[in-house]
Order: sequence, then structure tokens, then C-alpha cells
Amino acid sequence: MIDANAYLGNWPFRKLKYSTHFAFLEKMDALGIEKAVVSPLENVFYKDQLAGNRHLHSEVNHHPDQFLPAYTINPTFPGWEEDLAICVEEFGMRVMRLHPNYHQFSLDSAEGKTVLDAARGHGFVVIITTGLEDTRHHHPLVKVPDVPGEQVAAAVSAHPDVRFLVAAANFSGISAIWSQCAPAQNLHFEISRVQGPVGDIEKLCATIGADRVLLGTNLPLHVPEAATLAIEHAKITADERAKIEHGNAARLFGL
Amino acid sequence: MIIDIHVHTRLGPDPHGFAYLLDQAAELDVTLCVNSLSPKDGAGMPESPTEDEIRRCNDWTAELAAAHPERIIPMWYLNPAHEEFACRELEERVAAHAGLQGVKLWVAVRCNDPRLDPIMRLCAEHKLPVLQHTWYKITGNLPGESTPMDLRELALRHPDVSFFWGHCGGDYEYGAKCARGLPNVYMDLGGGEAMNGYVEILAEHESADHIVFGSDAPGRSLISQLAKVYGADLSDEEREKILYRNAQALFARQGRSHGAAS
Repeated sequence: MIDANAYLGNWPFRKLKYSTHFAFLEKMDALGIEKAVVSPLENVFYKDQLAGNRHLHSEVNHHPDQFLPAYTINPTFPGWEEDLAICVEEFGMRVMRLHPNYHQFSLDSAEGKTVLDAARGHGFVVIITTGLEDTRHHHPLVKVPDVPGEQVAAAVSAHPDVRFLVAAANFSGISAIWSQCAPAQNLHFEISRVQGPVGDIEKLCATIGADRVLLGTNLPLHVPEAATLAIEHAKITADERAKIEHGNAARLFGL
Repeated sequence: MIIDIHVHTRLGPDPHGFAYLLDQAAELDVTLCVNSLSPKDGAGMPESPTEDEIRRCNDWTAELAAAHPERIIPMWYLNPAHEEFACRELEERVAAHAGLQGVKLWVAVRCNDPRLDPIMRLCAEHKLPVLQHTWYKITGNLPGESTPMDLRELALRHPDVSFFWGHCGGDYEYGAKCARGLPNVYMDLGGGEAMNGYVEILAEHESADHIVFGSDAPGRSLISQLAKVYGADLSDEEREKILYRNAQALFARQGRSHGAAS
């Protein structure tokens, strides 16, 4: 299996299992996940994204077969273009992660358009993280709404030659985005925060198609079995299961 | 065997969700404790249902329990604002149903309201566990929506009633602290996202003896909520307690020998 959406690192609001790369690798082995696309969790709150990206590079560099790094770019912070160049030239960046809500930019703002243009120029896969955990339980000082679905759909439609992975959207969020930009060939979704309703994976296969659905765990924030068991128990064909567990991610990320 | 103490007839517009759930419950050997917040043949889930709506909700639950006695334990839905009617509705349902059963309270009235007291006395008399919805939302609760601290008040006021602590309070870290030291509460795992460490935090503050499996299906998938238990660092004994033994022991107090999970 390939995990298309995960993080390494710590979270300011509670202690997490599997936040170190050692513990993460052990959990991957236990679940049968051969490779994970990982970003630095600290970069959600770091101002200097390069610091988190540099640390991620040093960690994943020891395990190139297990980790594919998705470096985080914040286009509202000074010097991001130079930092992006460092990620490309020194770290071999192929995947860009964006946190539009935590980094306070809109995908259709000047900053959003510029960073997506840069992604197109480099041929990156762009992971748009729509949220990280239930907004009803955020820390009272850090209330961050999810990225609006219409903003995601507009960005996907406006950049048909950029390949997008929408991360951590729930079932209704995925359905809303898809309804606004179907049949976008450049759009994919991962399932870490779907978690319902009953029959969710079957419904996603029926509506958006098994070619666009990827296993994602949102580790270490979520219990990864919520995603792996959902696929295991879904009433789908073996071919659909293989696509969701690894085939689609292998194609999208060129693995 | 698994006992899921938090199942609805419907949540949202999908009319096929419950049929899917029944099939999956049979495959996984899950007993479903079912409540209906939706009047049969109605579209929505009124936050403060009328007496007629309550009857139609419970009629639907009773029909399903009669049709699937091996699979379903009914949880009678009440609106405490109805006072005398709520008690009468409960007594009639208990008299009419021979098997195991319980009570469900949602968001009509905050659960520290004294209008719950007559209902709680009946629950104590019939040994009916009460699934009380709780959620602590930083985005703001509904007017009648109970917080974990509201349920703490109720549980202290009625030590002879067993409570399923709905959704662990939503914010499970907050809920876990509110429930500490209460011998008559059982944390319901259902409904929230499967967060890393969810069950371990509850086990630390309440112990596995006071956690029960709930899913909040069909709005949530059964599998994603089971993952909270299967993905947690627990002993086999703790896992069994959470998945069915704790709930089984509570229902066994009713002394009813037939029906689901008996």
C-alpha cells in the first residue's frame, strides 16, 4: 500500500503516537504500507517553512524507499520563491503541499495563483490540505475553518495542467468539490477523513471513480486503520481496491 | 461479538444506509442498539420533536427491533420537555417490548434540566441504560445540546442510572476529564473522527471498564469507528470489554432472557 497523505513531526495541542520517523516506520510495517507521502507537521505553524522542510529532508533522506517528501510552501511569507528553489535544487522536490487555511491565503488570490503557476512550471503534484482535524475541537485560540470547497474546485478548474490531490476532506466536502469541477482529469482525493457514511468507499467509487481515490491516513493525527480497514471491508472489486491502495498513488506520484 | 450502543435509523438523506448497515452487522456479528431521531416517513431530525413525532420515531425503532430481534436492541427516544407524556411513552414502550432496551436523549433539553428526573427514575426502576448525546463545541452548541459537564451533573444526581456518555463529549479530551470518577458512566466512542490516541486517553482517565463501542452509524461508517478500538494500544481483555463485555453486563441487569445480546 501507499499512503498518499501523512506527516512527520509533532503537534502543539497534544502528544501523538508515531510522530517520529522510527515509530512511523514501525507502524507502516505493521499495516503493510510500503511508502508514505510525508510533510513536516510543524510547518503548519512554523513561519519559516524552509526550516521544517530542511528537517524533513534530513529525516526522509535516510529512508528514500519508504518516504516521498511533500515540501510545504507558504506563498504569503517573504522569500518563499528562493526557499522553493532550494527545495527543488537541494532536496529534489516533486510534491508541493499547501495549507491555505492555516497559512491564511486564498487559492484564487494573487499569492495562490502565483504559487500554483510555480507548481505548474516545475511539474509538481500539489496537495491541497483542506483541514487537519474537526473544527469543532480546535484550540480556542486557534480556530481555523476548513478550506472552502468552491475555492478548491475553482483552483483545479483554473489549472488543468496541474495534478492535484485534495487531502483530508470529508465525504460531503469531496462530493461538493467534485460536483463543481467534474470531470476534472487532474483531480484526486485521499480518504483519511472520510470515515462515513456507511458504504462511503463504494459511493466514492460510484460517483468520482476508483481512478481518483487514494489511500491516505493523515498520520500521526488520525488512526490509520480508519482508512486501511475502510478499504479492506469495502464492497468493491479487487481491481478497484488495488487502485485505491497503491495503483493511483504510484501513477500520480510517478513511483 | 460486538455491541454497538449508538446507531440511528437514518442520518441524512440516504434511505439505503440502514439496510447496508444491517448486512455489515451480520457479517461482523454486531448487535445494534438502535434509536430513531427521524419520524418514520419524515424527512428530517427535529431538534425538539413533538409528541406525535416521538411516537413515530419509536414506532420505527419498534418495527426494526421486531423484524430483527437477533440483531437490534431498541433505544427509546424521548423529549424531556414533554414531561408526563415522556414518562408515559417510556412505560408503554417498556411494557410492549419483551427484550433488552434502553433510552436515547438528544438535543431537545440540556440534560441537567430537572425535567429529566422523572424519566431517570423510570430508567433506574427498569435498569435501562441512557444514551445521552453530549458535545463540547468550540464553534458553539445548539440551545438544548448538552455539554459533558451537564451530563456529569445528571450522573451525580442519579447514581442508580447507567449512562452511555454520547460521543465521549465530542471533544474527547474535555469529555474524558469531565467523566472522571463517575462509576455509572460509560464513554461512547461513536461519532467523532478516529483521532490518534482517542481510546488511550479515555482508558487512562476512565479505564477500559467504562468505555463502550458506539459508531453513530449510518452517518459514520461502522469500520471507521471500530478502527478507534483496533488501532489503540490495548490488551485483548480491554478490547473485549470495550467492544461488548461492558455493554453486555449493563443490559444483563435487566434480567430479560431473550432478544439481541442476551
